[in-house]
Amino acid sequence: MNKYSPFLLLGLLALLPFVGLSSYMMHILILFLMWSVIGIAWNLLSGYCGQVSFGHAAFFGIGAYTAGIFYAKVGISAWWGMPLSIIASTIAALVIGYICLRLRGPFFALATLAMGMILKVIAENLTDFTGGDIGIMLQQRTWVDKTGYYYIILAIAAISFFVVKKIVESKLGYYFVAIREDQDAAESLGINTTLYKTIALCISAVITGIAGAFYMNYMGYIDPKVVFALHDISIITIMVVMVGGVATYWGPVVGSLIMVMLAELIRSIPKLGEAHHTFFGVLLILIIIFMPNGIVGDFRKFAKFFGVRRAQR
Amino acid sequence: MKRFGIMLLIVSIFCLVAAPVMAANINLVIPLPLTGKQAKFGEIMKRSYEIAVEEINAKGGVKGQKLAISFEDSTGKPEIARSIVEKLIGTKKQPIIVGEYTSACAKAVAAVAEERKTPYLVVASADDNITQQKYKYVFRQNAVNSHYSDGVADYFKKIVKPSTIAILYESSAFGTSGAEAMRKDAKAMGIKVVVDEKYEAGSVDFKPILSKVKAAKPDVVYMVSYVMDASLLMKQIKELRIDAKQFAGGAAGFAIPEFLQNAKDAAEYVISATLWTEKLKYPGAKEYANKYKAKYGDFPSYHGASAYASLYVVADALKRAKDMQPESIRAAMKATNLMTAFGPVKFEDKEGYQNQNFNDTFVIQVQKGVFETIWPENHASKKYIFPVPTWKDRR
Amino acid sequence: MEVLLQTLIAGLLLGGLYALIGLGMTLIMGVMKIINLAHGELMMVGMYVAYVLFSAFHIDPYLSIIVVAPLLFLLGIVFQKYLINPVLRVEAILPENQVILTVGIGMVLANVATIIFSSNYQSTPVSYATTAWYLTDFWKGAPLELSLSLPWSVSFVFAIFITTGLWFFLSKTDTGKSIRATAQDYDAALLMGVNVKKMRVVTFGLGSALVGSAGCLFIPIYYLYPDLGGQFTLIAFVITILGGLGSTIGAIIGGIILGVFESLTATYLGMGWAPVGRFAIFILALIFIPGGIVSLFKKRRLAR
Repeated sequence: MNKYSPFLLLGLLALLPFVGLSSYMMHILILFLMWSVIGIAWNLLSGYCGQVSFGHAAFFGIGAYTAGIFYAKVGISAWWGMPLSIIASTIAALVIGYICLRLRGPFFALATLAMGMILKVIAENLTDFTGGDIGIMLQQRTWVDKTGYYYIILAIAAISFFVVKKIVESKLGYYFVAIREDQDAAESLGINTTLYKTIALCISAVITGIAGAFYMNYMGYIDPKVVFALHDISIITIMVVMVGGVATYWGPVVGSLIMVMLAELIRSIPKLGEAHHTFFGVLLILIIIFMPNGIVGDFRKFAKFFGVRRAQR
Repeated sequence: MKRFGIMLLIVSIFCLVAAPVMAANINLVIPLPLTGKQAKFGEIMKRSYEIAVEEINAKGGVKGQKLAISFEDSTGKPEIARSIVEKLIGTKKQPIIVGEYTSACAKAVAAVAEERKTPYLVVASADDNITQQKYKYVFRQNAVNSHYSDGVADYFKKIVKPSTIAILYESSAFGTSGAEAMRKDAKAMGIKVVVDEKYEAGSVDFKPILSKVKAAKPDVVYMVSYVMDASLLMKQIKELRIDAKQFAGGAAGFAIPEFLQNAKDAAEYVISATLWTEKLKYPGAKEYANKYKAKYGDFPSYHGASAYASLYVVADALKRAKDMQPESIRAAMKATNLMTAFGPVKFEDKEGYQNQNFNDTFVIQVQKGVFETIWPENHASKKYIFPVPTWKDRR
Repeated sequence: MEVLLQTLIAGLLLGGLYALIGLGMTLIMGVMKIINLAHGELMMVGMYVAYVLFSAFHIDPYLSIIVVAPLLFLLGIVFQKYLINPVLRVEAILPENQVILTVGIGMVLANVATIIFSSNYQSTPVSYATTAWYLTDFWKGAPLELSLSLPWSVSFVFAIFITTGLWFFLSKTDTGKSIRATAQDYDAALLMGVNVKKMRVVTFGLGSALVGSAGCLFIPIYYLYPDLGGQFTLIAFVITILGGLGSTIGAIIGGIILGVFESLTATYLGMGWAPVGRFAIFILALIFIPGGIVSLFKKRRLAR
């Protein structure tokens, strides 16, 4: 993978709408990009900095609800949710980080999981503010055609990809990896681990929050059970990155390809019917047993398995 | 660059699978939740669609063509429901969409259908605001949630005459709007709401809020529960011996056969709102129910009946439409005036709703372990039992 | 007063049930340090076995533990040996990659259950499902009416029995001691000649058997459908952390504390808020008593 390939892929993706894809394909592509964004965000916090979060739905939901509440209560366009969600998710990240980041490993993971659930119940109960379980519905979405949405999410994906890449290649990135590998050692080398973990969490939260705000605009409907979902958001986020490849630039993208496109493909096989979950579940188990670092992380094994010569680097 | 190759390969396989399949029949793909928490209702509806399509085809199909239906699993997620509908409208050019179950999914589908100007018939999603969006292409066959309780409220007013009520509802769109409707009804009738509690769906233990209900001594207890919470609530009410004049449920969980099986004697005398029962005097209702029971061992709930009837509504609209274009089908749908096994179907614009079918709601009561229709009286299969004996006096 | 007492009774009984679910998790998490997201699904499997035994042979759900526990033990061993161990063995960047594995297992289990049993809601309508004892039945002039449910009490008693049995097993038998050694320090146990690999397999089997038995005790009270696992996995996490990793006594204390706390929030704050209380306790426990409730007792003993 040379250094131009990200630009090449970006160019290809940017040209894709001109091929005349059906609205369905565009929808799948948009979901694919959206999940790539969330995956990229999670990858920064968990893949590089080693703080495995089980509660990214919290930030996704906060982004979505920022857009939704400003639309429903203030009466401005839900697109304002995107810039506003940056503030909201940063605040949320600081609060959640203050509480959870003192914990390590699986305990941090469980604490974030609990945070996600708490936010869900709060969103369900603050009926006056969030609309409770009825949720928030946009009267009308901005465009019928999906090209606009596609370019917006493509831009977000590209920006987050390059931002994360830049961060990881900078000094910050080395601090992150140092913290992941051995927090105590990093601390003793004079790295302010709390500060850097908080930075990773904030960046990750902001990117996820923007994706959430995008979801509100794109789907036009949110309720707490949809955007704060433990399984459908938090766990899927983890799977996207883990399947694709933890701590690799392309991992989230490849993972999202599998979790969105392959899942959709398997779901659409007519004969399989409701058994598609089994099929997909077995696939996940196989991937993780044979490629514990994900497809990109263990690409060599993957290539060998398919008889492909290792790609030239 | 090999990785790109593989990625492109996956994408291209994907395109191939998604390509439209040409056939002479009228193909309808119906999105339904077949896995996940809502799968139970998806299944009832799937079976009912299958019964209906068999009958319609046996009677000669639509304009000489046979209806062919298939199903896609939306897993109860709005994005996936949207994927399916995007595919149906965009790629398969299906001129009318029918199906989906949860309100969240129905909202996602409705928004797409409206944007793409394809008629969509909502079959069982009850959330009020689906038909309050000034949508032109979205039709709803089942009553809105705020009308579900009409029958029960009427029964309260004329028979039970309570002065206090306790409302328990689950934390979902269905529970929230059902409870809101009852609150309004109670206010209109001058009934005081003494307990008003929300609970997390799927809870194990309701005794804490039930003890609160017991202490408040309400005349009636009205509960809105989606599924099995209904039977847990009644079982625990029996355990705690809460004696209200009447226990009432707001459709869904209180109107499915599992309620009887699980709650058993605790379910006795409980009344529930429902949109349909197999004992109604609508043409074809009994035949459908018997057919369903013969095949699957249980009577279907109103969700199934609505699904069954919806295919007749669609077939009828397709027959009347001058061609297979969405626009003409929409016009035909709008002019629907059909008597079905689910009752009369007519899409009206009133009370702030658009293209909404206002069907009657009924009250059923569990009598000797079976659901009997008790209200309104002209539809009653058995006379209502009131007053209800206290728990101590039972057995 | 009546409300408070009844709430406390409800909380206590609920706590017993919670403890049952948490026991298996605390063992698995304590020994292997893995986050098992298929825990609830294992319970679902246990419940389905009990359901089949009941509907086909009219075997009481409580009796079916005799069948369910060994069956789930085997299932757990198979999972651990052929799926989890291969993943744990390799050096991965994040050890949490086993999460995908357990999620995948959970997905498959739930989906297979859907295919076999359909997504219908099932229950075992036992005759004693709503039997309860009432204070006024025993004592005519009682100033207040309290009730105690039979199936709930049975589960509670079972929870106590299982916990004690497990405690004896872990502290008195060789296998139990080896399991505890593995939990405390994997490498040290290995050096001391403990067959840690075998211990891990046994632990996962034991954990599965425990949660399967919990399913048997649960089914007369609750109901059953393929997708019920998720919420119980969460509860099990809370209890495990609250009670302390790997501690059986902690699990039952944690379960009871959680049960009583939830019941009290439900009564006095509203049941919609009860889950917030649950997760708030969880986070507080994570931060302030990382060793769980048992660690509080231990510390005091050391200080003396």
